[in-house]
Amino acid sequence: MTVSDGLPTEAFDHALSTVDEHAAVALVRGLLDDGIDPLDVLVDLIARGQREVGERWQRGEWTVAKEHAATAVAISATKEVDRFANRVPVTRGRVVVACAEREWHALPAMIVGAAIRLHGWEVVLLGASTSPARLSQCLHDVGPDATAVSCSVLGAMSTTRRFIEASTTAGIPIMVGGSAFGGDDRRARALGATAWAPHAQGAVDALLNLPAVVRRVPPLPRSLMAEHSAIEIGHHDLVETLRARWSATTTNGPVTEVSREVLHQALHAVSVALLTNDPRPLPETAAWIDHLLTARDADHGLAAELGVVLASTLRDYPVAHDLVQRHWTEGLVPQGEPVR
Amino acid sequence: MTTGSRKALRAEAADASVLGDEAASTGHELLAQAHLRVDLAIDISSALAGSLNLRRTVLRLLDLITPRMADWAMLVLVDDADGLALHGGADPTFTTTTPRPFVEGTGLDRVLRSGHDELLHVALELDSTGALATMIPNPRLRDEAVELRPADVLCLALTARGSTIGALVLIRGAGRGFPEEEVEFARLIADQASMALDSARLYEERSRIASVLQASLRPPVLPTIPGARVSARFRPAAEHLEIGGDFYDVHGSKDDWLLVLGDVCGKGVEAAVLTGRARQSIQTAMHFDRRPSAILAVLNNVLCDDDSSRFVTVVCARVRPSADGTSAAVDIAVAGHPPPIVVHANGEVGQVDVAGMAAGVIRDVDYTEVRIDIASGDTLLMFTDGVDEARGSQGFYGMDRLLGMLPAYAGAGPVALCEAVEQSVVEHLDGRAHDDIALLAVSCER
Repeated sequence: MTVSDGLPTEAFDHALSTVDEHAAVALVRGLLDDGIDPLDVLVDLIARGQREVGERWQRGEWTVAKEHAATAVAISATKEVDRFANRVPVTRGRVVVACAEREWHALPAMIVGAAIRLHGWEVVLLGASTSPARLSQCLHDVGPDATAVSCSVLGAMSTTRRFIEASTTAGIPIMVGGSAFGGDDRRARALGATAWAPHAQGAVDALLNLPAVVRRVPPLPRSLMAEHSAIEIGHHDLVETLRARWSATTTNGPVTEVSREVLHQALHAVSVALLTNDPRPLPETAAWIDHLLTARDADHGLAAELGVVLASTLRDYPVAHDLVQRHWTEGLVPQGEPVR
Repeated sequence: MTTGSRKALRAEAADASVLGDEAASTGHELLAQAHLRVDLAIDISSALAGSLNLRRTVLRLLDLITPRMADWAMLVLVDDADGLALHGGADPTFTTTTPRPFVEGTGLDRVLRSGHDELLHVALELDSTGALATMIPNPRLRDEAVELRPADVLCLALTARGSTIGALVLIRGAGRGFPEEEVEFARLIADQASMALDSARLYEERSRIASVLQASLRPPVLPTIPGARVSARFRPAAEHLEIGGDFYDVHGSKDDWLLVLGDVCGKGVEAAVLTGRARQSIQTAMHFDRRPSAILAVLNNVLCDDDSSRFVTVVCARVRPSADGTSAAVDIAVAGHPPPIVVHANGEVGQVDVAGMAAGVIRDVDYTEVRIDIASGDTLLMFTDGVDEARGSQGFYGMDRLLGMLPAYAGAGPVALCEAVEQSVVEHLDGRAHDDIALLAVSCER
C-alpha cells in the first residue's frame, strides 16, 4: 500500500477504479479508527480521489457509466465518515445543505455536510437536483441557522440564485461553494450569497461568521437578466442551431459522445456570465472544451470554431454576443496546449 | 389600543435617536423621522411575511427592532406547557424558558393576562434591578438590561386572533425614552409581529402533525442485505411533499428477503395514504407465506375488500442470495406492474417475462411467479411508470430509451444504476411536471 501524505491514496483510488465498495469503506473505517482527522479523510482522500475520477472522464479514459460507478463508491466512503461524524454531539445550530436543480454531483454536498457535522452542527442534507419549492418547504419546516449550497456545474447556477432568493426571503443566511463559482467570491457576491466557501474547511469557517439574519436579496440587473432568461428559455433551440453549424456535430467524428455535453456547457457558460456579470466562465469553458476534445483526438481548431459559431448564433443577444466574441478565445492558446 | 401606564414620566429630551428624537421640532426633521418610520414599517412587514418558521420569525423580528426601534429587546412567547419562552436580549439567538407561575404578579404577567401595554419609567438615580425584574424574569437578561441604564421599559402585548400569545419588551437607554407617538408606532409594529408569530406558530403545529404522519409514509431506510447490494431512488410528483403514490420496501432477514415496489393510482397525499395501507398489508402477508404470488393474492383481496375504488400495481421479488454473495435466486410476481429489468454483467439487458392483474380490481386472482437467477455483476432493476412515461419536449422517455441506456451501466452496481436512470429521466423532463418516480435495484455483492 503506497501512502502519500500519510493517506493511502493509491489504495483508495484502486477501490474506486475497481468499484470495490467494501475496500473503500474498510479503508476509511480503518483510518478513522486509527485517529486520522476525518476532515483530512474527506478532503485529501475522498474528494481528491473523486477529482481524479472526473479527470479520467475528461481525458477520455473512462465512460460516464464508469465515472458513475466509481462515484457511488466514493459516496459510500463518505457515508462511513458521516456515521463517524454523527457521534459528535450537536453543539451548534442547524444547517440545510442542498444541490440546485441540474446539479447531479451530490458528493461535494455530502462532503461539506459531513465536514460541517464534524464541527457540531446538525445537518439536513437534501440530495441531488432539488427544486426551489422543496428547499423552501424544508427551510420553513426546519428553520435552520444557515443554508449551504454546493454548485459544481454552470447549469445549476440559475437555480442556485433561486435558492439564494428562497433562503434570504426567509431571512436565512446562505453560503455557497463549488467549482461553478470559480476561485474567488465574485460570482457568489453577484448572486447575493451571504458567504462563499472555497473548500470544505472554508465552509466550516464561514459558518461561524454568518449573521443570524439577512435581508432579502435585491433583484439582479434587469439589462443582463432579460438576455439571460431569453437564452435559458431558448436553450434547446439554441443547442440545435449550434449542432447544425459546428463542424464537430455535422460530421460524425470522435467527439460525438461528448458533443451534447459540450454544447450545453457552452450555453450555460454564457448564461452564468450574464447572471453573475463575470466573463470568466467563457474562457474557462472554452479551455475545458478544448481539453475534452483534444483528449479524444479531435482537432485543436474545434473549440475555437465553436466560439465563432456560438457568437453568430447569439447575434440577437447583444451582451452575450459581445461577451463570447471578446472572451471565448482567451481560454485557448492558438497553436498548442490549452490553458488550465 | 390601550396602554397601561402611559402617563409615566418622560426622560429629558436628549440626542436625536434613529426614531425617537423628542426634540425634533422643525418640519424637516419631523418629515425625516416619519420617513424612517415608514421604512422600518415596510421592512418589518415584508420581512415578517417571508418566514413561516417560528424560530426564524423570532430572530428576524429581534433583528429588525434593535437598534432601530429600541436599544434592547426581548420577546416572550407563551408555550403550551404552562411556560414562557424568552428570546433575544443582547444576543438575538439566545433562548430560554421560564415557568409561568414564576412570573405571577409581575408586570409581565399583567400584560400577558390583560393584553394591555405598559410603559415603565425607570428613575435614573436608583438601582433599576427591581423595576426591571417585573418585566424580565431571567437573571442573565435582567443583568444585560441593567447594564444599559435604561430610561424606559415598554412592554407590548402581542395579541393575535383574539389571544395574547406573548409580549415584546423594549428598552431604551437614558435620554432616549419612548414619546407617545413612538409608543403608538411600536404598537403598530407589535400588531404586525403578533400576526406573523401566530401564523408561524399555527404553521409549526400543523407541520409537526404532518411530519409525524408523513414519516410513516416516507420511503424507508434500506437495510443491509448480506450477500447483496440494494439501492433505491424516489422522486415524488409533488417534490416538496416528499411523499406520493409510489412506494418501495425491503423486508426480511438473513438469506431470505422480499423487495417490493409499487404504484397507487393517483398522486399526492391521498395516494400516499393508500401506499401506507398497501405496504402494511404486504408486510403482514409475508409473515404467512413468503412467495411473491401468495403475497400479491392477499394484497389483492385486502384491497378488494376496501371501499376504495383505487387499485395498486406492484412488483414483488423474493431474493435469496447465496452464502458467498456470487449469485441469488429471485422469485418474481407482478400485479399490473411493468416487469423488472435484468442488466447482465456482460451488458445484455432484458425484461423479465411475467404478468398479472393490478391489485384491488377483482377478488381471488392467481398470480404467476417466475424464478430467475442473478449472478455476479447482474443487477435487477424495478421501476414505476413515472420512468417510461416521463414526458419531455421530445415525447415520452419510453422503454426503448431506458433499455438503451442500461448496458453502459453493466456491473456499475445498483447505486450508480439508480442514480443514472433518475438523472436521465429528470434531464429528459427538463423541468416539466412528472408523475412519481421510483426505482429499486438489487445485485449480488460480489
